[in-house]
Amino acid sequence: MFRGAIAIFWRDLLVLRRSLFSELLAVIAYPLTLYLAFGIGLRGYIADVDGVPYALFIAPGLISMTAVSAAFNDSAWSVWFHRRVQRTIEEYRVTPITVYDIVIGKIFSGFAQGTIKGLAVALVIFMLTPFRFIPAHLLAYLPFIFLGSMIFSCVGTICGTMIDKPENIGRVEAVVIVPLIFMSGIFFPLSSYPKEAFAIISLLPTTAIFEGARQALLNGRVAPLSIVILLVTAVVAFAAAALTFNRKMSE
Amino acid sequence: MTSALEIDGLSKVYGTMRAVDAFSLRVQRGTIFGLLGPNGAGKTTLIRMLTTLLRPSTGSARIEGYDILSSARTVRSMIGVVPQDNNLDRYLTCRENLVLHARMYAMAPAEYNRRIDELLELIGLTNRQHDFPDTFSGGMQRRLVVARALVHQPRVLFLDEPTTGLDPQSRRAVWNYVQSLTPQMTIFLTTHYMDEADTLCDRIVIMDHGRALVDGTAAELKERLAHAHMYELEFSGGGERYEKLLRELPFVRNLQRTGNSFRLALAGEEFLKPLMDRIGGDDIRKICLKEPSLEDVFIELTGREVRE
Ligand SMILES: Nc1ncnc2c1ncn2[C@@H]1O[C@H](COP(=O)(O)OP(=O)(O)OP(=O)(O)O)[C@@H](O)[C@H]1O
Ligand SMILES: [Mg+2]
Repeated sequence: MFRGAIAIFWRDLLVLRRSLFSELLAVIAYPLTLYLAFGIGLRGYIADVDGVPYALFIAPGLISMTAVSAAFNDSAWSVWFHRRVQRTIEEYRVTPITVYDIVIGKIFSGFAQGTIKGLAVALVIFMLTPFRFIPAHLLAYLPFIFLGSMIFSCVGTICGTMIDKPENIGRVEAVVIVPLIFMSGIFFPLSSYPKEAFAIISLLPTTAIFEGARQALLNGRVAPLSIVILLVTAVVAFAAAALTFNRKMSE
Repeated sequence: MTSALEIDGLSKVYGTMRAVDAFSLRVQRGTIFGLLGPNGAGKTTLIRMLTTLLRPSTGSARIEGYDILSSARTVRSMIGVVPQDNNLDRYLTCRENLVLHARMYAMAPAEYNRRIDELLELIGLTNRQHDFPDTFSGGMQRRLVVARALVHQPRVLFLDEPTTGLDPQSRRAVWNYVQSLTPQMTIFLTTHYMDEADTLCDRIVIMDHGRALVDGTAAELKERLAHAHMYELEFSGGGERYEKLLRELPFVRNLQRTGNSFRLALAGEEFLKPLMDRIGGDDIRKICLKEPSLEDVFIELTGREVRE
């Protein structure tokens, strides 16, 4: 059972290991720049948000953002590349593994990439942040990274499966993924939204990821509603990814 | 049951185009079967259906007795596939490509390492096993794809143009190897090289427009043309001019030209004299009667030059 998924996951980690250092460097650069620009550069201009220094306010979101975009990107491009360019998926498909093995292997690879990259950024930001948080809070924080990476890996897999033209993957990222991330309260508290918008925004899974992550890391509070929203989304996304991939493969 | 492969009325329809049209076939276990046909004949489409990559529109097929639809997984555990286009993983080394494949079949490391060493030796890539396929020549990549299909010792091997792009030495090496795999293995191959089909295949089917046109051994197929009178003509010059002239003669068929040499079929022996009258004797260097080749049969049936 899942031998194929494990083999594919093994393959992806083997490849990742070879380029781990350069990948981490590339992936840390962006959130770190944002952190330095907004958290440190604007320090004197932005008052504390909800009683928290701004640099600390944005830190959890930047970490989650790195994790979920890495998960999305890795899955989307990997599935697309193996399907359209290298056609390795066809090689997988003539072996006795199932299409579910392939899609599950790919989802877990994206999930692992997201988690590893998110934790790498966390490490760097924690070293730079003058404000210490309680280490036990990290435990409350991890579920958000896990679930967030899982959801975005599934969404990435769906994109990589359905989209044939590479430029369209970039477009989906620019039009859907990035706004979703930025609107969900990485840089400002959700209370900034007008009442009507707040109701909708607070139900978005991305909000659950970012706001939930912040509450967990800074206050050690895990909001049950956030976790429920994320769990449900993860299950739905997983099923959708598996079905989409299966449908595409039987064309 | 001695058929490794049983195909019954298999079809694949794309819109209004019948890429494979009610194709039926039995292939004896332990033999080498060759599928020939011009570009777009439907060879790859047929192989993709048999290897469970593509769902047939209608019809059924069994490999070693297992249905390609209802027992797809069992079928896949028994087949090896060399696709028309190399699909190696360029981020894995030569050896890692083989290892990943073995892991998909749940082979144990002790088992697959031995097997992979053996195969690498055989395809002459032992010294390059830790290099990436991108650094290989086309022929080396092709050999690696063939080796990959053999890691798990399949019972039926599908080869879609295995030797396209190989130099004569490598082609012969692949032939020898393929031959040595029988009779333990059944081999289903497609090719555009008539000499390859002629030397290698126990049985040949020529297909076009998704349908089988003829079926038999190379000798039987050539026998079909025994009534046709194949001639070889060679001129000392003026190839263009003679081609034009020959094409206009109603009793000349299947004209093939290489430079100043021609190969043609006459509708009957009695046309030899009219032919000689038309071309005159000035430039003729050679004229002789020829045994029909597989290529003649191919062109006679598909009505076009072999395109590659
Ligand atoms: N996905 C597809 N959609 C529409 N038509 C297709 C598709 N795949 C193949 N065809 C058509 O099916 C026909 C058979 O193609 P196929 O690739 O099987 O030919 P082939 O015999 O392998 O040719 P070649 O010698 O060039 O490899 C072609 O006319 C091709 O255009
Ligand atoms: Mg083909």
